[in-house]
Amino acid sequence: MSTVLKEPIKVIAVFDNGVKPVKFKWKGRVYPVKEITYAWTSKEGDSRIMHFSVSDGAALYEITYDSSALKWSLEGVQA
Amino acid sequence: MIVLHMDMNAFFASVEQRCNPALRGKPIAVIGSSKRTVVTTASYEARKFGVKTGMNKWEAKKKCPSLIFVIGDNRKYIDTSVRVLNILKDFSPKVEAYSIDEAFVDITGTDLLFGPPEEVARRIKERIREDTGLTCSIGIAPNKLLAKLASDMKKPDGLVIIREEDVSKLLNDLPVGELWGIGPRLTEHLSGLNVRTCGQLAAFPASVLRERFGIIGERLKLMGQGIYDSPIVPIGEEEAAKSVGHSTTLPKDIADKEVLKRYLLKLSEMVGARSRAHGLKGRKVSLTIRYGDFFTFTRQKGLEQPTNDTRVIYSLATDILGSIRLRSAVRLVGVTISDIAGGCRQLPLFEGERKRERLVNAVDLVNRHFGDFTLTWAALFEDDDPGPGVISPAWRPEGVKRVNVR
Ligand SMILES: [Mg+2]
Repeated sequence: MSTVLKEPIKVIAVFDNGVKPVKFKWKGRVYPVKEITYAWTSKEGDSRIMHFSVSDGAALYEITYDSSALKWSLEGVQA
Repeated sequence: MIVLHMDMNAFFASVEQRCNPALRGKPIAVIGSSKRTVVTTASYEARKFGVKTGMNKWEAKKKCPSLIFVIGDNRKYIDTSVRVLNILKDFSPKVEAYSIDEAFVDITGTDLLFGPPEEVARRIKERIREDTGLTCSIGIAPNKLLAKLASDMKKPDGLVIIREEDVSKLLNDLPVGELWGIGPRLTEHLSGLNVRTCGQLAAFPASVLRERFGIIGERLKLMGQGIYDSPIVPIGEEEAAKSVGHSTTLPKDIADKEVLKRYLLKLSEMVGARSRAHGLKGRKVSLTIRYGDFFTFTRQKGLEQPTNDTRVIYSLATDILGSIRLRSAVRLVGVTISDIAGGCRQLPLFEGERKRERLVNAVDLVNRHFGDFTLTWAALFEDDDPGPGVISPAWRPEGVKRVNVR
């Protein structure tokens, strides 16, 4: 990611046989998730963090979901 | 025996091209950090221009002016590697993780479930592509040596099968250096004996090879014949660790010993935590140094009592560093404990030692719950975090293996 953000975001996601973010709100603007280009998980201690590389059609974002803390974050953006 | 060797194609670069569609079809090179200058993996598009692993940034950019550098992210590669291994385990219980992007699978007798070997390979490729979007090359042969050779023969997205009856014809004119395990130096030594092809190696008198290369001499002759009997070692059945080590490539070459010590502390803690988690203690601590020109050496120090205590490991590693006169800036440092004593639940004799052991156990417990380096030694906070760097393809995803980060 060319710009590291690590900012909390609000996300609408589908939880069905996995997690799929559908859109997210960052700084008052809503971004549609047009494509999940890649998904992976990592562990921080006992927490499983799900990472999504997503595109809104214009830019590429990395968003994460901490499955213990139930928190979404915008990790970074690549214009 | 039927061995399948799977090799992910341009692994780190391909993962990055999946993540970012704008990079697909373009020459890219994955590097460890913004300060690091060495190419870890190049995409096939970049390889066409002559960009190779190990090249520095400027060299690579000269070969390919349109080259795009991408900073790697280990977590992506580790997770992908584990997913791929899990796919392989659906086809056989005997899967050996050889490196982060390569594995051997014993598919002897799997035909009843999955059909003939080519069908198994096709299914594996399909599953990997579905799950990750990535391609791999697969080689199938009667042993590991030939399976590895087969997967190397067609890249990317290859499937090559070497049958017993084709072996001698295939190997006859093959340069010895193409064989797994025969590196440039060995190739040079062999060429000094006028041995250039596997056919020549196979026909060469064993006695001369033995005299020249010692015990590996006979093995070399057999390799020239395509004979190789090393078994597949499934994940979790590796031999008990003979050493526990970690090393890291520095974000830039460093000559200042005080700065190097901070890396040694971090590495000592990684080695200590890992050996404690597995109940291992070592009687020797060694320090590996690699200079900017890749000259690499290791020095070690012994201990009366085996240890897995971070502070003891660190103090020996810094002693060794103190005794070395660095001739140039350092590119990589590594800390290893070896001469492992198993079953080390021996009770410490003195109260002071017992206290330390309890402290160390508590630190490990906290870290296991909240992530590595949540609780660590104060000196690590003196400066910004050295960062993880990009792991080498020799890294293995499971087990207490020696982890080498090149
Ligand atoms: Mg590979």
